[in-house]
Amino acid sequence: MRPYLAFARASFLNLLAYRARYFVGILTYFFNVTVWYYIWKALFSEVPPGGTLGGFTFPEMLTYVATGWVLRSFYFNEIDREIAVQVQEGRMAMALIKPVDYQAMTIVQSLGESVFRAGFFAAPIALVLLAVYPVSLPASPSAALLCGVSGILSALLVAAINFCVGLIAIRTYSILGFLRAKYMVLELLSGLLIPPAFFPEKVRPVLDWLPFLHMNFTPGRIYLGLVSGRAALEVLALQAFWVVALLFLGQVLWRRTARHIESMGG
Amino acid sequence: MKEVRRHARLLGLYFSQYAKARLEHRVDFFTSVFASFAGTAASFSVVLLLFSRFPHLGGWTFPEIVFLYGFSLVPFGLFNVVSPNLYEFSGRYLTEGRFDRILLRPVSPLFQILFESFRLESLQEVVTGTLAVVWAVRRLPDVSMAGLWLLPLWAVFGAVIYVSIFAILTALGFWIEDRIGIAPPVFNLMSFGRYPLTIYDLKVRVLLSSVIPFAFASFYPTVLALRKAEFIPFFAVVPFVSAASLLLAVFLWRVGVQKYGSTGS
Repeated sequence: MRPYLAFARASFLNLLAYRARYFVGILTYFFNVTVWYYIWKALFSEVPPGGTLGGFTFPEMLTYVATGWVLRSFYFNEIDREIAVQVQEGRMAMALIKPVDYQAMTIVQSLGESVFRAGFFAAPIALVLLAVYPVSLPASPSAALLCGVSGILSALLVAAINFCVGLIAIRTYSILGFLRAKYMVLELLSGLLIPPAFFPEKVRPVLDWLPFLHMNFTPGRIYLGLVSGRAALEVLALQAFWVVALLFLGQVLWRRTARHIESMGG
Repeated sequence: MKEVRRHARLLGLYFSQYAKARLEHRVDFFTSVFASFAGTAASFSVVLLLFSRFPHLGGWTFPEIVFLYGFSLVPFGLFNVVSPNLYEFSGRYLTEGRFDRILLRPVSPLFQILFESFRLESLQEVVTGTLAVVWAVRRLPDVSMAGLWLLPLWAVFGAVIYVSIFAILTALGFWIEDRIGIAPPVFNLMSFGRYPLTIYDLKVRVLLSSVIPFAFASFYPTVLALRKAEFIPFFAVVPFVSAASLLLAVFLWRVGVQKYGSTGS
């Protein structure tokens, strides 16, 4: 455990080195929520007061959008890019000689980053959003607690996904283009931009069978109290299942990739 | 005029050189185009899924929204084609000392930075956006033909606005040593211009029409074609905003280059 803690600490300290990033980052998230605030406001003006869209009232939708972006500011990491760049620049050998499991090391580094982000991005962004927009607090203390658990699972899930994506991105020439596309696709499939109720009937079941809704929709609806009690625990269990499944997939992909890298030397 | 011709020729050479290198790896190139398209399709899906359910948004009909969003992809795509080096300027060129190489050549440094490499796959955004506009035009009862004919030119003006604003932000790298820059939040502001300006409050409208004039890049160019009487005066202003932001960018780059002292690396 000890060496892994050191990796988490190192990525935490790395982030602390770039202070301008916080203000810039907070502003970026603020703009993202703002554009959606106006879009939803315009859409809700089309329905009678107190009406719902996709099962959400306007205050709920606004809260959903805000928690979604706050959560994204927490789980966001770029391990996919770092992995791909390490391989392309031939620095992977350095990572391979360390007597630790590469996947575990990478995931722990990303968790170190998330701990940092919780304090320096997610918390201030949440405060700004609460101050500026009529965002509600968690539906209940238990919703807050379960949402916290779900948020941590989201971070693990995203780290597991990005680890796989990084290993796939190695094979493409323009990694950045590939990753840009990934962000846009995941923003759609995770429920960050629109809740799944807005998808066509036929696509909904597909979404439910993919892991991506657990990035945003799951913690979001727990926060709002739209799912609670036993049902919430079941959703959390499913989310945890996906974390394990994707970590396993990452390990398989890594074993296959590592063999390939050794031959390149680096 | 001779200078313009020389630069146009250089641009052609830079582009064909880069395209040749890129097309050497053909499979990879098409993978990138496909990935890029998947991204555009995903963000377009959000618009389609959301707005197709409503008769209008801020007084705009669904085909009008598609027209606006589709059009906004054209200047955005053109901007994406030339922008990769702007993002990396501070780190790649200033900190790593590659800028000295640029200064040795008898061509404007900003010109070289912009056109040394391209994100070719972003041309798919131009195509996708154009197709969306065509789709929308067929469903719109009354489109101004003059507005449609001017649209390609106005798309170029829009792209110039985007490029100039980011060139201005990049030029700040000559004064402030900052690896991240203030580009990311400004980049996110671009998405505001993809929706009707009518959904925003006055303060957002003013921001997008003055300090960071993104509304002139994607929104105002569409108002003539869509016959939005209240906004049409702004349509004519687009070329001027475009020229003004370009001049400011070129000016700041001149001053910045004067001030630049090499790290010697």
